[in-house]
Amino acid sequence: MMAQDDEDRRAWFRREILPLEPDLLAYARRFCRDGQTDPEDLVHETFARAIACKTWREIGNPAAFATRVLRNCALDALRRRKVLTITAVADFERIEPIDEAPGAQSIIESREELQALADAIAELPTQCRRVFTLRKVYSLSPDEIAVRLGLSVSTVEKHLVKGLRYCSEKLGRRNERKSKADERRSWSGIRDHDAKR
Amino acid sequence: MRQAAALWVVRLDDPSCSDADRAAFEAWRGESFEHEATYEREAVAWARIDRVRALRPGLQRPDADLLAATPQPQPQPRLSALSRSPWARGLAASAAMALLVAGSLSFGTSTAYATAIGERRVVVLGDNSRIELNTDSKVVVRFKRGVREVKLIKGEALFDAAPDARPFVVKAADAVIAADGSAEVAVRLRSDGAAVTVKKGAVDVDPVRADAKDDMRLTAGVAAIYDSRGARSRVVSNAEIDRSLAWRQGAIALNGQSLAQAAAEFNRYNHRQIRIADPSIAHLRLAGYFQTTEPTSFVNAVTSAFPVSASEGADGAIRLSRRS
Repeated sequence: MMAQDDEDRRAWFRREILPLEPDLLAYARRFCRDGQTDPEDLVHETFARAIACKTWREIGNPAAFATRVLRNCALDALRRRKVLTITAVADFERIEPIDEAPGAQSIIESREELQALADAIAELPTQCRRVFTLRKVYSLSPDEIAVRLGLSVSTVEKHLVKGLRYCSEKLGRRNERKSKADERRSWSGIRDHDAKR
Repeated sequence: MRQAAALWVVRLDDPSCSDADRAAFEAWRGESFEHEATYEREAVAWARIDRVRALRPGLQRPDADLLAATPQPQPQPRLSALSRSPWARGLAASAAMALLVAGSLSFGTSTAYATAIGERRVVVLGDNSRIELNTDSKVVVRFKRGVREVKLIKGEALFDAAPDARPFVVKAADAVIAADGSAEVAVRLRSDGAAVTVKKGAVDVDPVRADAKDDMRLTAGVAAIYDSRGARSRVVSNAEIDRSLAWRQGAIALNGQSLAQAAAEFNRYNHRQIRIADPSIAHLRLAGYFQTTEPTSFVNAVTSAFPVSASEGADGAIRLSRRS
C-alpha cells in the first residue's frame, strides 16, 4: 500500500508541479537579482520540497503552493548565508505570484515544445545526436546502438545522458524569452514608480 | 545530481537493465526527496522527448545517414545557453532613460544644475557631453575659452565627456580631474575629499592642495580617493563599478557593507531617515539590491532576515534596534 501511495505522490508531482518549471524559473529569477543565488538551485530545492509533501492530496492550487514553497526556499537561502543577502526579501512585496492557471498555455505551447525539442536535438554534437536519435526517434536499444556505431555500451549511455540533460534543460527554460520580457517590464515599472515621486 | 538522475533514467529505460540495477536505483532514490524529485524531472523530460518521434519524417533529412552511420562534418556544438546578467539588462534599460536636454551654453556664462533629495537628472550639454546627477547634488557648468569645465558642488555625478578639441575638466573638492578625449568618470564628494571612479577612457587627477606626488593618472577600471590624507587608487572590477553606479537605475547595490553604511546610503536619498539605535547591530553585513526611494522595504527586508526590529521615532525616523 505504501508503494502505491508513493507512486500517487510522484504522479501528482509529475502532473501538477513539474510543468510549472519554466514559470518557477522565471519567478525564481526575480529573487536572484544580486547574482548570488542561482535561480536553478531555488527551483531545484522547490521541487525537492514539493515532492516531499505528504499532504499533497489537500493541495487545491498547486501553482500557488509551489510559489509559496519557492518563496520559502528563497528566504531560507538568504538566512543560510554568512553575509546575508536580502535582495529578494526587499522585493518580496513587489513580486507577484506566478499565474495560477498555466494549463491552457501549456497546451498551446506543446507544438512549440515539439519544435524546441527538435531544435535541441539538432544542436547536439554529431556523435551524441546520432546516438540520441537512434534511441529516441528510431527506438534502438543501447546494445543495438553500440554495435551499429562501434561504441561501448557505457559510451552510448554517456551520450544519452548528455542528450537528455541538454533537452531537459531546454524544456525547463522554454519560457526564458517570456521571463526576460517580464524583467524588462519590472524595470520600466521601477522607473515609472520613481518618476511619480 | 541531475547527471546522476539522468543516468538512472537512461539505464532503467534500457531493456537489458538488470534487477540489481533496479535495486540500486531504488536505494539511490530513497536517499532523499531531492533525489526523488530530480529523477522525476529527468524521467519526465525523457518521456516527453519521445514526442519527437512524431517528427520522424522531418528528422530524416538531416539524419538520412544515421542508420547507415556514415561520418558527418562536425557541427559547432552550441551547448551553452547565454544568460545575460540582470545588470546588463539594467544598464541597457538606462540607455532608454529620458534625457533632459539643456540649452547650449555661451562663452563665459555658467549654468547650475541641481537635484533634490531622491531625484536624479540627466543633463546633455551643448557639446553632447552628459552629466547624470544623483540625489541631492549640484554642478555648475562653465564653458570657458578653450576648456569645458564642470564644478561638482555637492553630491555625486557621472560625467560622460564627449570627444572635443577642448579638454573636459571636473573640479571637485579642490582637485582637478581632466579627461583627455572621451571618458566616463563618476565623482562623489565625501565629507573630506572625493572619490573618483573611471568607467571609460582615462583621466588625470590633480589634487590642488596636495603634493605633486599625489597626482594620479587613472584609467578605466580604477577608483581613487583623495582627501586630507593624500590620494590612493585601486583597480576595481566592472561589477563593482556597476554596483557603485546602481543609483542610475534608482537602486542601491550592497555587497557586504555594514548595516550602518547601508543606512547612511539610504539616508542620502530619503527625507525619512533610518537610525540605528543599537550599536550592536551596526556591523551586520548585507548584500542585496534595493530601491533608493524605498527605505521601508529595505527595513522590512532587514527585520525579516535579522533579529532586528524597527519602530518609528518621534521625528518620524525609522529606528532599528536588536530584537529581544
